[in-house]
Amino acid sequence: MNGRAHSLLIVGLTANLWAFAIDLEELPPPANQVVDFKKEIWPLFQKHCVKCHGPDQQKSGYRIDIAELALEGGEMGEAIIPGNSAKSPMIHFISGLDEEIVMPPKGDPFNAKTVGLIRAWIDQGADWPEDVGAKAVDRMDHWAFKKITWPVSPRFMHPIDAFVKVRLESKGLEFNPRADKRTLIRRLYLVMHGLPPSPEEVEAFVNNPQRDAYSKLVDKVLASPRYGERWATHWLDLVRFGESHGFETNRERIHAWPYRDWVIRALNEDKPYNQFVREQLAGDALGDPIGTGFLVAGPHDIVKGQSPELGRMQRANELDDMINTTGTVFLGLTTGCARCHNHKFDPISQQDYYALKGIFEGVKHADRNLPPNDDTKAKMANLQKRVGELKAQLAKFIAPAGQGKRPAVTAQHNIDPFPAVEARFVRFTITRSTSSQPCIDELEIFSGDKNLALASQGAKASSGGDFKHPLHKLAHINDGQYGNTKSWIAAGHTGWVQIELAAPARIDRIEWARDRQGKYGDRVPIGYRIEAGLKEGKWKTITSSADRQPFKSGQSAKPVYAFDNLPKAETERGQQLLAELQETEQQLKILHNSTKAYVGTFAQPGPTRLFYRGDPESPRDAITPGALAKFVSLKIDAKTSEQKRRLALADWIVSDTNPLARRVIVNRIWQHHFGAGLVDTPNDFGRNGVAPTHPQLLDWLASTFVSDGWSLKKLHRRILLTQTWQQSSRPHAKALKIDAASRLLWRFPTRRLEAEAIRDSMLHASGVLDLKMGGPGFSGFEVQMENVRHFFPKKNYSPADWRRMVYMTKVRQEQESVFGAFDCPDASQGVPKRSRSTTPLQALNLLNSSFVMQQAGLFAKRLQTDAGAVPQKQITRAFTLCFNRPPNDSELMDATAFIKAESLPAFTRAMLNANEFLFVP
Amino acid sequence: MNPLLNRRQFLSNTGQGLGGIALASLLGREGALAKEDPIRPKIDPTKPFAPRDGHFPAKAKKVLVIFCSGACSQLDTFDYKPELIKRHGQPMPGAEGLKTFQGDQGNLTKSPWKFKPRGQSGKMVSELVPQLGELADEMCFIHSLTGKTNTHGPGENFMSTGYTLDGFPSMGAWVTWALGSANDELPAYVAIPDPRGTPQSSINNWGPGFLPAAFQGTDFNASKPLRNLTRPAGVSAKSDLATRSFLQRLNERHLEKFPGDTELAARISSYQLAARMQLSVPEVTDLSTEKASTLKAYGADDATNPIKAGFAKNCILARRLLEKGVRFVQLFNGAYQTGGEGVSNWDGHKVLHQQYAKHGPVLDQPAAALLRDLKQRGLLKDTLVVWCTEFGRMPTFQKGASGRDHNPEGFTAWLAGAGVKRGHTYGATDAFGWKAEKDVATVYDFHATILHLLGLNHKRLTYYHNGFERRLTDVHGHVIEDILA
Repeated sequence: MNGRAHSLLIVGLTANLWAFAIDLEELPPPANQVVDFKKEIWPLFQKHCVKCHGPDQQKSGYRIDIAELALEGGEMGEAIIPGNSAKSPMIHFISGLDEEIVMPPKGDPFNAKTVGLIRAWIDQGADWPEDVGAKAVDRMDHWAFKKITWPVSPRFMHPIDAFVKVRLESKGLEFNPRADKRTLIRRLYLVMHGLPPSPEEVEAFVNNPQRDAYSKLVDKVLASPRYGERWATHWLDLVRFGESHGFETNRERIHAWPYRDWVIRALNEDKPYNQFVREQLAGDALGDPIGTGFLVAGPHDIVKGQSPELGRMQRANELDDMINTTGTVFLGLTTGCARCHNHKFDPISQQDYYALKGIFEGVKHADRNLPPNDDTKAKMANLQKRVGELKAQLAKFIAPAGQGKRPAVTAQHNIDPFPAVEARFVRFTITRSTSSQPCIDELEIFSGDKNLALASQGAKASSGGDFKHPLHKLAHINDGQYGNTKSWIAAGHTGWVQIELAAPARIDRIEWARDRQGKYGDRVPIGYRIEAGLKEGKWKTITSSADRQPFKSGQSAKPVYAFDNLPKAETERGQQLLAELQETEQQLKILHNSTKAYVGTFAQPGPTRLFYRGDPESPRDAITPGALAKFVSLKIDAKTSEQKRRLALADWIVSDTNPLARRVIVNRIWQHHFGAGLVDTPNDFGRNGVAPTHPQLLDWLASTFVSDGWSLKKLHRRILLTQTWQQSSRPHAKALKIDAASRLLWRFPTRRLEAEAIRDSMLHASGVLDLKMGGPGFSGFEVQMENVRHFFPKKNYSPADWRRMVYMTKVRQEQESVFGAFDCPDASQGVPKRSRSTTPLQALNLLNSSFVMQQAGLFAKRLQTDAGAVPQKQITRAFTLCFNRPPNDSELMDATAFIKAESLPAFTRAMLNANEFLFVP
Repeated sequence: MNPLLNRRQFLSNTGQGLGGIALASLLGREGALAKEDPIRPKIDPTKPFAPRDGHFPAKAKKVLVIFCSGACSQLDTFDYKPELIKRHGQPMPGAEGLKTFQGDQGNLTKSPWKFKPRGQSGKMVSELVPQLGELADEMCFIHSLTGKTNTHGPGENFMSTGYTLDGFPSMGAWVTWALGSANDELPAYVAIPDPRGTPQSSINNWGPGFLPAAFQGTDFNASKPLRNLTRPAGVSAKSDLATRSFLQRLNERHLEKFPGDTELAARISSYQLAARMQLSVPEVTDLSTEKASTLKAYGADDATNPIKAGFAKNCILARRLLEKGVRFVQLFNGAYQTGGEGVSNWDGHKVLHQQYAKHGPVLDQPAAALLRDLKQRGLLKDTLVVWCTEFGRMPTFQKGASGRDHNPEGFTAWLAGAGVKRGHTYGATDAFGWKAEKDVATVYDFHATILHLLGLNHKRLTYYHNGFERRLTDVHGHVIEDILA
């Protein structure tokens, strides 16, 4: 957009600049009479203004037919300044003297007389009698914002069923009969675990005559860790959790997974939902810091460019993502709508939006080092102790600092002169680096002025191992090019690189650096020796770091140990100790990094400013951090620490004074049970959202949920034990006609499984599903590690790929090549409810992909193992694994004939494609 | 047929969710905003790609987008600026201290390619794209486009989806969601990536966003077939067929238990459609039936320039898809994958002359041949051709480099074919070709106009998502009336 032109216009419109925009002398004079608003002014507004600034349209956010709004003004500020018509923008517009804006833009204009009348009205105080014009809508007068009273069950039965039944009866509908036990257990597992039950579990349940068999099964299912894995997927969709940054380069976000594990763990441990919410906004203040991964789970533009406007827009977008996601996820309010102007429907002002911005202003996208857990702490303490011991033992080897020594190594350039020596081979051995694997951008071996090491001179490079990276290659060690992008990095933390000269020569000097361009100061080799020889292996040390002063660069100034001029045994002992020290420190560092997680970093921000029309180039007044003024005052201010700001918001969200959070979450849970929520717009409980189909049921669930200690598992249990949930899904014509989508729940609504559940179920059927939980995910792609990452679908799959799909690294902007087509979101946007489409590409993927073909093969093998060589037994086993029921006679006959004519893998391929396999029954 | 759905009917029909949720606000506010009410496409879940009427009659039925990825310079192609040539080597007035994407500016630099008047209209087009230049009389140029970002990924998103952020539906998804397709044996929406790879924003350029996945672009090109299209190695045609019919029997028996369930029925028909696609897609991608003269005209036989030959084949494929009635074809020229920054796309920061000298010929002959071929076959009558790029480039060279930096403040696109003026120019940049100055147009306007040409009102083509009635044009956009034929 032409942002520049935009902001110019805005400057022109700022209230106090107004007066200068036109010549006030030219305004028609105010009428010299007492004005009657109702008789003289209101008809003018109706005639000239209401079409564009009335109930149908509010151009520039201005509405003139309601007293409060007419006086409040629109996006450009106030239009009427009571008592001062000459300064009232409205008068400037309707006088036709303003070059930019003339009102009305088309049709019948005002004339000197009518302008004069309006001026007189404004000058006389802009009095607006109460009985004139429309009434302002109280935007707080909306069901979702009202206090929840615990509704009484309308029938003597399970309250949930009672509320549903009343609605059914009103349409002449009734519940379907209870589903059969096989259907019930299959549904229970698919909905709650995203996996079918094993045939053994099915048989046990079907043959259990106990009355409480089902409720016991529900308890078992809720206690299984599979539950957290399944329901975490719903939550991760909602909070746009991804493991790459998105945008242009889409780099991997390797420490994002701890948040995914945190969600799974929280669900499995049944962390109370109010705590679950608080920890996601301010877990750093509550002793469980990983939850704040929520704040930064969204995309992040890491391509910053040089123009400052771009940077400001990117930052504004980052914060908008947090404001909007927090609003929609926890409150069901589209707070993001108020970024540019007051919310069109809900009581959310633009000030509120920027107050919320003040809450998140200190949050940045980044990894954070987290306090290690007890186990890691113990390991680290042991290692730390050993480091102390080693350092004490090594103390006597510390080289005396300074005095008489050569200058310390620098990252940018080092010269090692020595008495000339005849050599063909030169080896540079690195014994210590400032950090991780050491790097050298160019190694030069001089004979006088001539660098003989260059590959172009016929010299050959070799090494003890190279770090694998497209930018860092062995060839760069002697290619004549400087800088990080043309450098070599050793494979390990120590290592060597060697140059074989084209011919023996008398050499007298080595020059080398980490990065002669001066951009990088890490990976500097600070412990090294340079050896030379005429033959490889016949080395003679010609120089080393031993006589250099200790390296100094910020925190990496570590003591330098010297082992020269000591008895051999002592030298060896010292070197051994040093090696162990380095190794131990390295282990410590790995453990330290293992506690890194992409959960954001926090810093106290400066003042938050309102951006006029959402434009970061048009900052306006400073705004006090806070929440939604019509709902709450958080009692914080600009001095409040940013952590306390987040905590204050979180505390209000789950407080008793806020009815939204509890209504919103119980609706989400309901939605994932029945395919649709009681409120069909799960992220919008505002006035623009859909009203609940069963308002009392929603409030009953919300009340019960809170009295159950915000326990999600108890809520599930209550829902799972209802007749509503346990009824059959069989459709019938009469009810279909009245309520095709079963929104009133006359049947359990069937639906296709989501991508993850389809994939997991296949692995379950073939018997290769790996139930390893947690930790870094597996990849669905081969990644081309360029600046801009490219992802190519894997072609071959091995057991490492056979974990549950919740553990597949979630790459933004890419679809998993087989299952992505099943409406699997890519985490670019939060998704409260997946679309559910049926496409030929889905069919092709399930029929022909190498993944499914491999699984069909494995499934066939499993059938042979489980059921032997008899087709009927194989078929029965396959049916019980895939559909949780034995085949009937005609199915058995058909399948037997089919296997005979074709093959067992052809049969398993069909089974994995079957509707019955893919649908929640 | 009036595509306006009865609201109540719509509410009772949200089970499949393909048409999108009912407009929530209407429940409480009957009557208000009636003339801007959303118009939902009426989608039969068993035939999501069936053709549907637009909001009003229109000439254009199909769209071909030629997207030059990497930001193709307007100053070296279609935006002729004599003042830039005159002031070559001088600092640009108004650019003191200006920092663009990669930093500081050098001096004004004329294009290394000369401009010549073309056709009857006398439109000045550079020697970089001579064959396209010869077709200037077919084109309707917009020289005054303005974007919102100077970064490639967001810029591509903006041009393809109307939002700089990821995750919004692409134009093609909107169009196929609204209109379906004339051919249900081919994907309704095909994205044809460059032979060198995918563009910078990759599949977000043809993604469904929050629209149902059915309406995402299917990506394949002349050298890279549609994934999972062919039956697996080791499965014979006979066995494949037998497996499908066994599967069909399984599904039909299962459906008996759920009489009237449209989602189950839709899934059965999706397998039938898949089978038809397995025949029709290879047929449409098989260029062996093309005449040698056609291959030659497009440059598909150019053995000296395999990238050009590859792009030419993609151009032929585009024509074949349009001929078959595919609704939306998005043809990419330039890729990030094999180099980016000017090496394999139009991002000429450092050595523009050298890089564009490679890219010009790859684009020029094949794209010109495609346009000519569409015209000759009468396809331009109902096909709208759109040539675009994510943003423009600066009239200056970058300080210390021989190329141009990003410039979203003024750039060029052109349209051709159904519903647009021929040999017409709309809008202009300033004397140097930096900022749009005359008839400034936004990408929103551009999108609104394209939808209008297809018979769609951009304000009423909306989908409810997360509390917003989302549009391709967000809350902006005006149809550029001046370019309508």
